Amino acid sequence: MAMMAPLLKYGVFGDEASLVVAFLIGIGFGFFLERAGFGSARKLVSQFYLNDLAVFKVMFTAIVTAMLGVTYLGWLGWLDLSLVYLVPTYLMPQVVGGLILGVGFVVGGYCPGTSVAATATGRVDGLIYVLGIFAGMFAFAELYPLLKGFYLSGSGEAMTLPGTFGLPYGVVVFAVVLMAVGGFYGAGLLEKKFAAAGE
Amino acid sequence: MNPYLAGIGLGLVLLAAFVLVGRGLGASGAFNAIIAWAVNLMAPEHARSNEFIAGYLGDGSSSPLKSWLLFEVVGVFAGAMVSGLLAGRAKVTTEKGPRVSVRTRLAMAFAGGVLMAFGAALARGCTSGQALTGGALLNLGSWAFMMMVFAGAYAVAYFVRWQWR
Amino acid sequence: MPGWISRLTLNQKLAGAALLLGAAALFASPYPGSKVTLDAKELSLIVASEADHVEAPELAAWIIEGRGDYRLVDLRTPAEFDRYHIPTAQNIPMSVLTDAGLGRQETLVLYSEGGIHSAQAWMLLRAQGYTAVYMLKGGLDEWNDQVVFPVIADNPTPEQRARDERLRSIAVFFGGQPRSAAATAGAAAASVAAPAAMPAAPKVVAPPSASGAAKPAAKKKKEGC
Repeated sequence: MAMMAPLLKYGVFGDEASLVVAFLIGIGFGFFLERAGFGSARKLVSQFYLNDLAVFKVMFTAIVTAMLGVTYLGWLGWLDLSLVYLVPTYLMPQVVGGLILGVGFVVGGYCPGTSVAATATGRVDGLIYVLGIFAGMFAFAELYPLLKGFYLSGSGEAMTLPGTFGLPYGVVVFAVVLMAVGGFYGAGLLEKKFAAAGE
Repeated sequence: MNPYLAGIGLGLVLLAAFVLVGRGLGASGAFNAIIAWAVNLMAPEHARSNEFIAGYLGDGSSSPLKSWLLFEVVGVFAGAMVSGLLAGRAKVTTEKGPRVSVRTRLAMAFAGGVLMAFGAALARGCTSGQALTGGALLNLGSWAFMMMVFAGAYAVAYFVRWQWR
Repeated sequence: MPGWISRLTLNQKLAGAALLLGAAALFASPYPGSKVTLDAKELSLIVASEADHVEAPELAAWIIEGRGDYRLVDLRTPAEFDRYHIPTAQNIPMSVLTDAGLGRQETLVLYSEGGIHSAQAWMLLRAQGYTAVYMLKGGLDEWNDQVVFPVIADNPTPEQRARDERLRSIAVFFGGQPRSAAATAGAAAASVAAPAAMPAAPKVVAPPSASGAAKPAAKKKKEGC
């Protein structure tokens, strides 16, 4: 079974075409984000008040879908997984960054992707949020010399859960699926309990 | 739309990205590219001397705007607009709770964006790039990041509930 | 379809499907791993036809022209690379070459000290599915001999003079200088020891076009999210 994917890495199309692909993929991304209702800050933050756990459901369904897809395509030999880019792990900055991002999420009501979706559907707060991101990025860049040490702390290597914990890939995949399905069941229960308190 | 179906749709889009170009989705990176371009436009020497920005300028042979992520994010805008229009959910409004003023809400939105930018810069991504993409690829740092996002959000949600209720 | 399945809700069906797929995935090993299949006949024919080589003067011309459609790979250790490397080359040591994740359609030109490692690497990369892989014939030894320290005639005829001028300017571009034919006869070992330090000149002179050629090295930090 010959490897054919990722198509870009096998020369099926070039860098210019990949920009067009980017746009098309983005359309799909934005479309489903909005379909899920994530163009709305109130819907998004409901996750964190336990009224509406759509964020968890959508996110983990997407993760499980893509994860299973990648696993099976790789197993079949159609996708060369080693050619798919894995963002290097810088544990401490990612942990701290995650916390900050989480705070920004409930304070602002969006994350970068959903803020774009919100702006596209007319949310003024989405637009202001986007402006905030620009301001914050600029500030980060200016402060970079001070932050550089922390920013670069960590291994900087591409690390996976199976690799780090010495587990077979398939076992981790199954564990994630179990956790997700269990989580969805639990989410249903939580929603029933807290839904009344929301909007 | 049923969140699980929307999630499957999203997951298939992500899978398509893996299969077509060998990378996942993202959003925050596009903002970095725009900032790098803007700073380079107005103060090129300053841009070059700033390591963070210079990284997005590369060797100068092509504009930072020719970034995969930037094109993707433009697509996100378009796709969301289409979906919103189709569903009748598109209207100019400010999302907020009943007890807070528009001005306050917008100020909070701006602050949230600033925080988000720092978080995403440190983490090398946001919920799309790290959580979704890295999550699907079982990336260690991404899973740690994801858990911290939920932790941070839940921890602070109580203190900003006046904004939403 | 059995009655009980059709009585499940959509969500329950989705959950069931996910669990089934997840369970089956327990046995999956999605990474291609390091075992490869190679077509011995095909490769032996390519080797025999010498279509897998790039000559040192050819490579020198490409670098001076600023061609950016290939990736020049130095297979030696980082220490050796830092001491001296061909301008525009990227260091990918032999031990990490197969994990480097280079795109399968890229054009690669490999070199090592003498050519043995680059020949072995050529075979491995071809087996992995790279089709446009070439070796620098003779490796760095040939490179020094023909490009950086070329031999020029002591009493050149008019045609030789023009050729020698060209060789001289190329040699200087790469931080070296020509040697006279007479001196070479005795000092055979000179070329190997020669570039004691990485000549600063080529790196600085080359940039405008050549570093555009270094597509891999100076690429934008695009791969983030």
